[in-house]
Amino acid sequence: MVSLLSGLPVTDCVKLCHRVVDGLCGRDPPCRADYSSTWSLEEWLELLNSLTAFFRLAVGNNSSDEVVLAGLSGVGSSHAEAVLSVLRARRDEIRRALLDRTNSISSATLQDFDWQLKLALSSDKISSLHTPLLSLSLDVRENTALRPVTMEMNREELNTLISSLEAANKVVLQLK
Amino acid sequence: MSARFRVGMSLAQACQDIGYKGEIGYQTFLYSNEPEIRSLLMFLVEKLPRERAEVSDQPTGKSVVLQRAIAAVIKAQLAVPWLPSNCRLPLFDETQCPGALHSFHVQSLSLPHCSKGPGKKQLKEVMDYQRYILPPVTAQFSRHTSVLASILEQHIAELSAAQEWDNEWNSQGLLSRLTPQDYHCRKLTRMHKRIKEQLHSATLTSPESPLSRLCSTSDLSELLQAFRCSDHVLTKGTHFTHTQKFTFTQEVAAMTSSIPTGHQSENDIQLCQQEELTLLQQQFHQLCSDVNQLAVDIKHMSVPYTQVLDELKQNELGNSEKEEKIQVKKKTIDLLPDADSNLLKLQVLVEASAKRVVNLASQWEKHRAPLIDERRRLKEICSNQDLESSRKLSEIKTLHDRIRVSTEEAKKKEEIYKQLVTDLENLPQDLSRSAYTQRILEIVSNIKKQKEEIKKILSDTKELQKEINNLTGKLDRTFAVTDELVFKDAKKDESVRKSYKYLAALHENCNQLIQTIEDTGTILREIRDLEEQIETENGNKTVANLERILDDYKAIRQENSALAAKVRDG
Repeated sequence: MVSLLSGLPVTDCVKLCHRVVDGLCGRDPPCRADYSSTWSLEEWLELLNSLTAFFRLAVGNNSSDEVVLAGLSGVGSSHAEAVLSVLRARRDEIRRALLDRTNSISSATLQDFDWQLKLALSSDKISSLHTPLLSLSLDVRENTALRPVTMEMNREELNTLISSLEAANKVVLQLK
Repeated sequence: MSARFRVGMSLAQACQDIGYKGEIGYQTFLYSNEPEIRSLLMFLVEKLPRERAEVSDQPTGKSVVLQRAIAAVIKAQLAVPWLPSNCRLPLFDETQCPGALHSFHVQSLSLPHCSKGPGKKQLKEVMDYQRYILPPVTAQFSRHTSVLASILEQHIAELSAAQEWDNEWNSQGLLSRLTPQDYHCRKLTRMHKRIKEQLHSATLTSPESPLSRLCSTSDLSELLQAFRCSDHVLTKGTHFTHTQKFTFTQEVAAMTSSIPTGHQSENDIQLCQQEELTLLQQQFHQLCSDVNQLAVDIKHMSVPYTQVLDELKQNELGNSEKEEKIQVKKKTIDLLPDADSNLLKLQVLVEASAKRVVNLASQWEKHRAPLIDERRRLKEICSNQDLESSRKLSEIKTLHDRIRVSTEEAKKKEEIYKQLVTDLENLPQDLSRSAYTQRILEIVSNIKKQKEEIKKILSDTKELQKEINNLTGKLDRTFAVTDELVFKDAKKDESVRKSYKYLAALHENCNQLIQTIEDTGTILREIRDLEEQIETENGNKTVANLERILDDYKAIRQENSALAAKVRDG
């Protein structure tokens, strides 16, 4: 429940709300150890969930200030004002995070990628090879589980991959 | 022995194939002497392809430089002995411990400039947040290794987005002759239309879903709004949510369910509530199916209803037409009793109206002519402007192309310059040019001295030749004169005749003497040549070579016979 917020002074409440928004946007969420004296574990989890859901709903529905304040009727007016100020400051960021979530609508999405270029100097058969090899590792998110995919390509394979990716980028550009 | 012979012969054959004219055989390589090998090597060096020398002058490719550097580094690393990890210096830790390599992971950043719109006034809360609470970029991460990766990623994403927009604007945006904002708007509306069509087609495939009634809405945002409204309805009936695959629907459902209303611990109340819930759910399902049934009925009924409406409209139209006809007929019937005067009146009216029409036409013509001229003029101006703008567009395009080409060229040249600089640095520095030039100058001065001496000797020989020619001429003339005098006297005197004979004999003998002297000179020269040849031949050690070749021949014969004996025995 959001009303649990009343157990905290207003300045700390602003900080906490900002950290919650950070967690919503893909950075580090607030740490429970900092607030263990104020709330029990159960209360903490509940507060975190409800705050996150509240921010999401407020930005997703593009609610006006009055609606937001009405949703915060359980807490004191100064706390409600603090939460509202956090919401107004971070509206753009939350909106972007929600858009990202909606964008990754497919069952598997690319979360991150990394590449390394290696030069094979020789093999067991040929003394001088000089073949560049690219090892590409993709972090694919499948139903909230990260699955690493690693592959190694030579020059031709990399060219085909890049050309197909460029074709895909062209299609994406038309939508921008 | 025979193997050595074969190798030497193949080498000699190769040299002859290239075009070596001197004497060459297998012995040249086996029993070499200095002058022969020297001449052979000079010939071979001259035959070396020239292009290679030019190629080596060219700046070596970037990849070659890189590969050389890699080879050097690897050689250095291989030279370092392997040590157990406890004995390692921190310097070698990096190359000998594979675990130190970090992978490149990215986290999202919160940067103030991202949220700043052009010309948009910032909210006070945003300013406060950025000023007091937003940590610096380096403090926004839990792991330090991802700082650099994230910043790089963010910058590259923004840069590539800007570049792509630039490219698109240069290729297509300029041609559309719109401002960037208009171009954006047009693209956006086009995309909205496409998405709407897709959604429509998707909803049409499942006609029993309540969403099919949304097809009539015109705008995408309305459609989306309708979706959102229906979501709230759908969250209550679970079997509808299963048919919907849109994740944001599920999201909303999750959100609404994630705000639970309090916690009740007592079992009775829970049981009661569950029973009530199941009852209510049954009722709700009943109601839902009723609503569906009714919707289907309404749909069925709507078709005949529209048909009836159409028929009604048509009938009304027919009625109004008929009423108009009836009124015209009524008027004509009223005019019938006083027909003649009415006819006259009608004619006058018709004439007046005809005149008026003619008058209006002439007036219209008067107005029309200047307007048409004006239109033509404007059209011409328009086309001119069109032409000019397209010309300027093409100019801009060519300018863009040229800018790109020249930047590429500049880049290439810079790279070549860098490479050359590195090459220059890699060159050995201790060779001084001045020593070389001094030596060259010395050689040139030597050659000059030799040339002067040769000239001196040449002039000496020329003088000698001249003197000889003079003397022979003098001799001939004096001989001719004395011959004539003596011949005249010889007719008169017997003793003089004898002296004439002696003179002739003397002359002949002297000629013979000169001839022999010349012959001896040539012979001496030949002898000297021959001696030189002999010396060179002696230097070649032909005799020794011949002896060696004979020995080789014997050895090969012995080998052959031994092999033959072996074959026979075998």
